[in-house]
Amino acid sequence: MAPPEVNHLFHHPIADHSFSADRQTLAVARDNNVDIFQRAGSKFQLKDELTGHDKTVTGVDIAPISGKIVTCSQDRNAYVWEPSPQGWKPTLVLLRINRAATCVRWAPSETKFAVGSGARLVPVCYFEEEDNWWVSKHIKKPIRSTITSVAWHPNSVLLAAGSTDGHARVLSAFVKGVDARPEPSAWGERLPFNTVCGEFLNNTAGWIHSVAFSPSGNALAFAAHDSTLTVVYPSAPEQPPRAVVSISTQVLPFMSLLWSSESEIIAAGYNCEAYRLQGSEEGWQLAGSLESKGRPGIQDQREESALNMFRQMDLKGKVTDDTKLKTVHQNTINTIRVYEESGGNVTKISSTGVDGRAVIWSL
Amino acid sequence: MATLNWRTINIDALDPDSPANFDLSSLSPAVQPVSTADVQSLAGQIRQLLRGGDSEGALQGALENPPYGGDEKGKEVHLATVIEILQSIRQADMSPILSRIYSAPGGTEALDVLMKYIYKGMAQSNVSAASTTRNITPQATGFSQIHSRGGGEGGGQAMSVLLSWHEKLVEIAGPGSIVRVMADRRTV
Repeated sequence: MAPPEVNHLFHHPIADHSFSADRQTLAVARDNNVDIFQRAGSKFQLKDELTGHDKTVTGVDIAPISGKIVTCSQDRNAYVWEPSPQGWKPTLVLLRINRAATCVRWAPSETKFAVGSGARLVPVCYFEEEDNWWVSKHIKKPIRSTITSVAWHPNSVLLAAGSTDGHARVLSAFVKGVDARPEPSAWGERLPFNTVCGEFLNNTAGWIHSVAFSPSGNALAFAAHDSTLTVVYPSAPEQPPRAVVSISTQVLPFMSLLWSSESEIIAAGYNCEAYRLQGSEEGWQLAGSLESKGRPGIQDQREESALNMFRQMDLKGKVTDDTKLKTVHQNTINTIRVYEESGGNVTKISSTGVDGRAVIWSL
Repeated sequence: MATLNWRTINIDALDPDSPANFDLSSLSPAVQPVSTADVQSLAGQIRQLLRGGDSEGALQGALENPPYGGDEKGKEVHLATVIEILQSIRQADMSPILSRIYSAPGGTEALDVLMKYIYKGMAQSNVSAASTTRNITPQATGFSQIHSRGGGEGGGQAMSVLLSWHEKLVEIAGPGSIVRVMADRRTV
């Protein structure tokens, strides 16, 4: 297994990051701006800065095909940035929310995007050709608290939303004229806008940090602040799910998760390292960390001579330097994303966290 | 009409979208209501096990039936039962018992319940000494510090038991268990 590629970008927390489809451009949310890094050899170089938001940027997503970037911020606005010869051209999207926007994701069709917000609703935004304007439509109904994460179903109609009210929900974000009628699936057959296809609560009702559909869209996973990860397998529309598998882990809560295949989930969070979970409808378990233990480097590099030992004791009052975590990330991991896929399976993922590092892991 | 003070009108009650009008019960997991009498009879059964020397069975029984739906009184009774069991188990036996419970089906859930009781026990300033201390103090003077210091000896004893349980429990159930206690809406 190749060692992870570590890029220490700056000493600021990274709320969210996104790679372009060719993996040459990296967009990271840094305070009120979004920094665009360009790959130069083995490193990333700051190339551009998207300025426009006047509060902390909470979400950034690059559309893989069109290359448009959508950003959202605590200033309650979203921008769509289009590449042009003069640089990035921003278009303001009025979300019509009265609380901060918390996360944003493009639909796979790239014709619309969903924004999570503290206003207990999910604006779904699509481009209206006639008015040359991004329109925002609100999913409101059963949401009782802040939306912390959104994730799209591969059909671009169903949307999963995790909330601080402890529920992970599957909602319909069907927009007439933008979307084609979706194929009926286990989640639902007729899907007008704001249909609630599923509402799931885990045992403790801890608030949800992250949601994700499996690659086929036939399962939903969510991670909550009670250190659990729950996977839901729906049976048929309007029916209770076929299986709900919840595992309580011994580690601190996960902040972000992704499916690397139908039977494997990668999750990372407050433990500063990414974990591999494997399973199926019958059950899931934690299969280990992505970190290779006993990684040469941090601790063993220095020759442990007696002189050095006494020098350390004299300087620091202790022999070993324990100011560093043994993990690659030195603080909470906020976001993990798919970096590279081949044959339907994810082969590489990228992670960013509070420590300002962007790390690329091979699975 | 003129005397109506419109500033005192609770406008949240009139706004259907207001968070004040939420049905909060849907936010927490459904719990079965438990009467205090049921909790007391369970406590009786558990004491019997304890007297018979089966402290592990007693602990398991107590952790499998936490009275989430009980009232304050019922919860207090069950807390006292759990604390009594914990105090009856010797330090050397803690880790083996915990790992056996952990590997049993539903084990993580049981250990999470135990963690809840350990924290609740710590929150209660002096568990076992509570009844005796109150009798010693002549009257409620308002000097709460003196009050608690009086029971410091007995409370310290109970606390050290809880602390060593906590240490052993974290070794087995990990920090995830602590986070679950904080996040859980089902309180003991």
